Amino acid sequence: MPEFPTIFSITEDELNLDELLAQITLTSTGAACFFTGMVRGATQRDGLPPETEYLEYEAYTPMAEAKMGQVADEIRQRWPTVEGIAIVQRIGRLYPQTPTVLIACTAAHRDTGVFEAARYGIDRLKEIVPVWKKEIGPDGGTWIEGGYTPQPGE
Amino acid sequence: MNEITVLFFATMRDHTGERKILLDVPENTPVSGLKTLLAERYPHATGALDATLVSINRDYAFDEDIIPAGAEVAMFPHVSGG
Repeated sequence: MPEFPTIFSITEDELNLDELLAQITLTSTGAACFFTGMVRGATQRDGLPPETEYLEYEAYTPMAEAKMGQVADEIRQRWPTVEGIAIVQRIGRLYPQTPTVLIACTAAHRDTGVFEAARYGIDRLKEIVPVWKKEIGPDGGTWIEGGYTPQPGE
Repeated sequence: MNEITVLFFATMRDHTGERKILLDVPENTPVSGLKTLLAERYPHATGALDATLVSINRDYAFDEDIIPAGAEVAMFPHVSGG
């Protein structure tokens, strides 16, 4: 069995989706599922200004990369058919319409779990990978906090 | 005493005004004991310290966990990447 590529990193550089896809595509690969999130410039919500000027991301990089590796391990346990996995979080000052995160999974066929695996990957990243963002709008900055409390063993 | 490093991120950095401190703590100090020591040092951060997430050597840790000598402890709010 070939060694399947697993990429996980925190970066300040622009996400190069084509290059990341190439890194997780094997000769046996026939399907890839990408999730990428971007900064939303306008948000409909009560009580808060709708305009986001930019987001300021920070990470506890060594722990974040270790936890991304853990998320990749969890994906492989649940979907053994997944071939390549890429999990990349961009940090720093990021403006609307800029991709901030990428979770991509490849497999021989589309019906062997790549959609579910990528979904699981972004959900777990938002639960256990130590990255935070501060939203900067017309009225100043607000830290955004998630709602998940990790349990022992996570 | 054991020397440890404590890192603060995001709102915890704002509450303490520090990114990184070196601290001497008694041997066998649990996470809850460290929070008590830090609450004395940063009295205005007491509420934040009650709610903070904690890691020891880059794994999540909990109130009863003992902090080993030389540990890198971090304190931060619920994560919000993506």
